[in-house]
Amino acid sequence: MRPYLALLSLLILGTLDASAQSREDIVLTGGPALRFMEHGKGDVSHDVYWFNFVDASVIRLKELKDQAKPDELVTWLIYRPAYAARSQEMGLDLLGQLQQKAKNLGVRLVYFNSKAELVAYLNRGLDRDKIKIGDFDYFGHSNKACFLFDYSNTIDTMSVAWLHVKDLKLIDRDIFAHDATCKSWGCHSGEMYSQWWKSRFDVAMTGAIGKTDFAHGGLPQLSNSDGKWSQ
Amino acid sequence: MRLIFLFAFFAGSLFVPTDLLRAQEAVYQAPAGEAPPVAPPLKKGSPLDHLANDPKLAEPTIGYKEGNTQGNAPWIAHRLIDDVGGQGWGWVKKSDAGWGSAKWIALQETLGLAVAPHRKLVKADADLNWEYKFWGHFASYKAYDPRLDEQLPVFVLTGYEVIGLAAPLNIKVGPPDRIEHRPSGASSRDSRPILSDPGVD
Repeated sequence: MRPYLALLSLLILGTLDASAQSREDIVLTGGPALRFMEHGKGDVSHDVYWFNFVDASVIRLKELKDQAKPDELVTWLIYRPAYAARSQEMGLDLLGQLQQKAKNLGVRLVYFNSKAELVAYLNRGLDRDKIKIGDFDYFGHSNKACFLFDYSNTIDTMSVAWLHVKDLKLIDRDIFAHDATCKSWGCHSGEMYSQWWKSRFDVAMTGAIGKTDFAHGGLPQLSNSDGKWSQ
Repeated sequence: MRLIFLFAFFAGSLFVPTDLLRAQEAVYQAPAGEAPPVAPPLKKGSPLDHLANDPKLAEPTIGYKEGNTQGNAPWIAHRLIDDVGGQGWGWVKKSDAGWGSAKWIALQETLGLAVAPHRKLVKADADLNWEYKFWGHFASYKAYDPRLDEQLPVFVLTGYEVIGLAAPLNIKVGPPDRIEHRPSGASSRDSRPILSDPGVD
């Protein structure tokens, strides 16, 4: 009888735990280029430092964890193939380091390998009828029409994994909380992506007019004096 | 101390003069109180090591082979630079077909096996209008070119042989959407919405 009681208790606790979550905060992190692809490109050579997007993500994840209410989950979505390839190039276990960082932060680490996997998680990774996304942050390469999870990692100066503004229709309209805050820390998102985001989800997304700079070690800053954040 | 770190970081990752790099590339600064990142030494014999340290040629060497080149070459390739700034590599056609059937491609190199022929050259455009026998296949996925907001078919290169310099081809450059004037759909005003240079960061 006791084992059945224990099992029943676990089920009840599990149900309570799941039902206790009402919001999810998501940090989405794209991958770095390979140095092979960027070699010799001088001042436009990207991602000399392999964790430029990761370090910025960690800062934001810490903020979210500190601010999170008991009913908020904090999830870290990372494009895995780019870090696997950079690991191989450098001879470092970057994936192991990412897992350790997530563990230290106390956040859920979810890898994705493709646009389809990312969209599936956003739509159905959790029960979106009950658990809405309350905060969304993107760190990675971008232009004004696209988030580029892969950039100059598989093909020189190109991407094989991206989320274009035209792909936003793949994501359900109602995954965000009505008061959600969204921000792309990548370059140029405020010039087009933010408008398409608002149109699709009826939630504002802050994005940069101009470039952003990940090289100073904190959260990205606008690169140019005439740049600004926009919705 | 900072100079020591900079030297270790850049010299370890790139093996080029640090003074040059300091002038050319953004310098990452660790958050206050945290140890700076230090790249491990470049792996001897790695693709990056060869790229950084092998002597460069003025032009391709006719007959040179790289990668898996067994059997008859299934593809013929013609190198060209896209003069509107796209990152496509050139055209590829079946070896027994005419150039009218050629596709403008993104070239996916297979590191450690076969990389783009221009990696061996002093200048990336030094093989303009050169032709190659290609071994490899078209991928099931496409590449996105962020400079022009275009998608290109991907050719995965597993081997090549240098044929030689050829006459320029009289066919339009770019993927089908550009040639057929199909807008990307990302903007109601611009047929190509990416105006910034280099357009991505």
